[in-house]
Amino acid sequence: MNMKTQLPAELPGFFQELVNGPEQDIKPLALNRRGFLKFTGIAGGGLVLGGMALTGDKAFAQPPGAPAPVNATPFVPYVQIKPDGRVTIFSKNPECGQGIKTGMPMMIAEELDCAWSDVDVETADVDAALYGGNQFAGGSLSTPMNWMAMRNAGATARAMILAAASAQLSIPVGELSTGNTKVLHAASGREWPYSEFAERAATMPVPEIASLTLKTQDQFKLMGQRVTGVDNVKIVTGQPLFGADVRLPDMVYATFTKSPQIAGKAVSFNEEHIKSLPGVIDAFIVEPFLDARFFNANSGTHFGGVAVVAETTWAAIRAKRELEVEWDNSSAEVATWDEMVARATAAAQQDGEPIMVTVGPPGPNAQRAPADRGDVAAAFESAAKVLEAFYEYPYVSHAQLEPQTTTALFKDGKIEIWAPAQIPQGGEAGAAVIAGVEPVNSTLHMTRIGGGFGRKLANDYVFEASAIAKRMEGRPVKLQWTREDDMQYDFFRPGGFHSYKAALDENGNLTAFQDHFFSVTGNGTAPMTSADLAPSVFPMDVVPNLKLTQTLFQNGIPTGPMRAPASNALAFTFQSFMHELAVASGKDHVQFMLDTLGGEGPSESPQGMHKGRAANVIRTVAEMAEWGKQMPPNRALGLSFYFCHSGYVAQIADVEVRANKEVKVHKVFAAADFGFIHNPNGAENQLEGGIIDGLSQLFNAKITFKNGVIDQRNFHQYPLLRMPQAPALETKFVQLSPEFAPSGGGEPSMPPLLAAVTNAIYNATGERIRKMPLSDLGYRLV
Amino acid sequence: MATLRINGQTMDIGDIDPSTPLLWALRDTLGLVGTKYGCGIAQCGACTVHLNGAPVRSCQIPVGNLTNEEITTIEGLAGPDGALTAVQQAWVDEDVPQCGYCQAGQIMAATALLKTNPSPSDADIDAAMSGNLCRCATYTRIRRAIHVAAGNANSTAFYDAAAPKGVAV
Repeated sequence: MNMKTQLPAELPGFFQELVNGPEQDIKPLALNRRGFLKFTGIAGGGLVLGGMALTGDKAFAQPPGAPAPVNATPFVPYVQIKPDGRVTIFSKNPECGQGIKTGMPMMIAEELDCAWSDVDVETADVDAALYGGNQFAGGSLSTPMNWMAMRNAGATARAMILAAASAQLSIPVGELSTGNTKVLHAASGREWPYSEFAERAATMPVPEIASLTLKTQDQFKLMGQRVTGVDNVKIVTGQPLFGADVRLPDMVYATFTKSPQIAGKAVSFNEEHIKSLPGVIDAFIVEPFLDARFFNANSGTHFGGVAVVAETTWAAIRAKRELEVEWDNSSAEVATWDEMVARATAAAQQDGEPIMVTVGPPGPNAQRAPADRGDVAAAFESAAKVLEAFYEYPYVSHAQLEPQTTTALFKDGKIEIWAPAQIPQGGEAGAAVIAGVEPVNSTLHMTRIGGGFGRKLANDYVFEASAIAKRMEGRPVKLQWTREDDMQYDFFRPGGFHSYKAALDENGNLTAFQDHFFSVTGNGTAPMTSADLAPSVFPMDVVPNLKLTQTLFQNGIPTGPMRAPASNALAFTFQSFMHELAVASGKDHVQFMLDTLGGEGPSESPQGMHKGRAANVIRTVAEMAEWGKQMPPNRALGLSFYFCHSGYVAQIADVEVRANKEVKVHKVFAAADFGFIHNPNGAENQLEGGIIDGLSQLFNAKITFKNGVIDQRNFHQYPLLRMPQAPALETKFVQLSPEFAPSGGGEPSMPPLLAAVTNAIYNATGERIRKMPLSDLGYRLV
Repeated sequence: MATLRINGQTMDIGDIDPSTPLLWALRDTLGLVGTKYGCGIAQCGACTVHLNGAPVRSCQIPVGNLTNEEITTIEGLAGPDGALTAVQQAWVDEDVPQCGYCQAGQIMAATALLKTNPSPSDADIDAAMSGNLCRCATYTRIRRAIHVAAGNANSTAFYDAAAPKGVAV
């Protein structure tokens, strides 16, 4: 039975492969009571209660009216109650700064009814047998995929404790209740810590999910409170947490050097000299690893190069600098960014090939048809106004602050890995292939991730470390990429171009929308990862007449998902053009947005946009910013809205444009609807970070390449926003209705910022910005 | 045999290559991994430590250039009983970290700032912290945490339901 994790349709196809693997079936876990008991035995240590079957759709049941449930594979979170009363909750997904190591255990603790101060959180093992296939950090999916299952886990544990207490105390279960990690007996006023019943609870039958009573939102005690990150104290005291912090006895250190021209192959190098350098233990060529199960051939790869293994990181870096490698670049990439710009600009007035979408049920026999609807030609003919505009955005690097690193040990026919990986199960599986061992003999330990943003969805660095470790059999190897490696060998956010045309009728309403999208392909037929365009983007999802075409340039510069894949660029082009249309319509921008939404109802498609939630965040942010108020000279508000990853965010930027195109962003207001917010601290951090991340990218982020060589190497050529440029922020979370299930905030927080600022610049100066980054146009953020 | 003065102790770094940046001596030789590598060219500030009390980029200082300077790393801030400094406590309470990778450097920079300027303005903070990148963009919380550590703002700490929500200083 195919039980692959079902991800929202808006995510690119390759993300599905990243999560599921193209050939792997993820088996559902259906622990019976025996499996449960066996599991508790494995967990060991003190009195253990944990492991519960969560099977079938019930685990993911969502209230009526909610977006279609994400039917993820069931999994088993677990809880350990120790004799001293402490409760350990294991967090199964990678933590990369999105706060999930705090957030998911909160869901369990809430329904378990234990005091948060009694809880210790530990990172779980990577174990598909226990957790199914969804131990990953991506797509803002951790919350929606685990919301019901985690709560069910906590409620199951609580029910078993109550059953055990009832048996042990000979008190009917109906007379017992719980609170603050205690079983309570109201009639007698007595109370007992959970730990008194843990041993017996582990022998109780696992209750049916359907028999559980979950708390309602108004009954939550923990969720909805501001809870600080569970690793905060370790972070502020410098304790080892991250992939880079792993240390093992007898460990050696490695660097890895790849062809400056992307995808070139190492032929030979100055081996004798390198091996003669102080501290160098070994140096060797690692052949490319191109297994299609772990790399999408249409999104580029650049595995293969020269490894230097040394006694210290510094010795390995020094030797790397002295490497002289002969590269075979005969099949390396040759793309040049400036040529892409010229070709797209020249073809802006033409149509491309139709963008095809699946109509009807998906599957191998799915019907494909152009995304078009209505008759744009007729609409343009009868329009009161027709607008055209050409937009451009560049390649962008993830630039997470922890350069890629992995520690690996190949010994006794087994490979063991310690890695900051967003898809650790994929890393573990690929490492087994590289090491030539059975999957059961490959073990990956998740570390905290020093920034992911999608970069660590690719496991390329895990595989490199595995290959090096295999050669260094018996000694643990820590691979450390330099920043220069990290910036050149990214899976970049692809650049792209949009040639828009749209029509307004005599009432200023949007009647037709046309886009010729210029993007990239590695295989000559399909867009690369995160280089695609779907007709679900607002306003394409609501406009009556739509025509969508694309031109794909052959270009194998590797691409991959970056925070809000596709949306992180489309939000700029679409929402800037929407403002152009609003201005042309003569309407206020807020009114034009609401009119274009055309209602307040739910979407027709399961993952589509709910117009009422969209309208609500737009109205809310307008109130927060006092939209329409008088502003000082050269200073204005700009609005933008975007829906992605099931999240609704509207932002207004308060921007002043000074002499010499100096831009001061004084403040950004944001209203977001992610459904119920279980940890306001975490959600707020994502929203604040997303806004400033967006501002950083808008002004400065640009990766360029000539003949397949990336031009930027370090932060002096790829500046990130710094403290003085950070605006004041005011954020607000709204929940249109409790019927909507919670969604993740990491990705939808960022996209609206881009056009909010450029629309404000237009409102302040009359200058329309159709190109990112703004530094290319002479603007400077101060 | 070379030694360094780190966190009040004399530590042996053996016959280390004197060109080794302090960063890698701390991390590889001494196992003090709280100090982080981010760029290697003094652009990001993740490797910030104190040298005789002043914030410096440890990726730029060869250990061969060091003699008896007093070096303080993130591991040396808290008291021997584990008591956090006001800056560390504010970082925890204001929930500053997202991924957390840059925060050791941020805390070292903020600690040095408050030592010389116990009551900094926003502009003072911006100037002192501008050498430290945070890719997760926690800047507004860093500002607030520094004000809290300086005693100039109320904490929005853990479980403080009355705290103003969503308004960053």
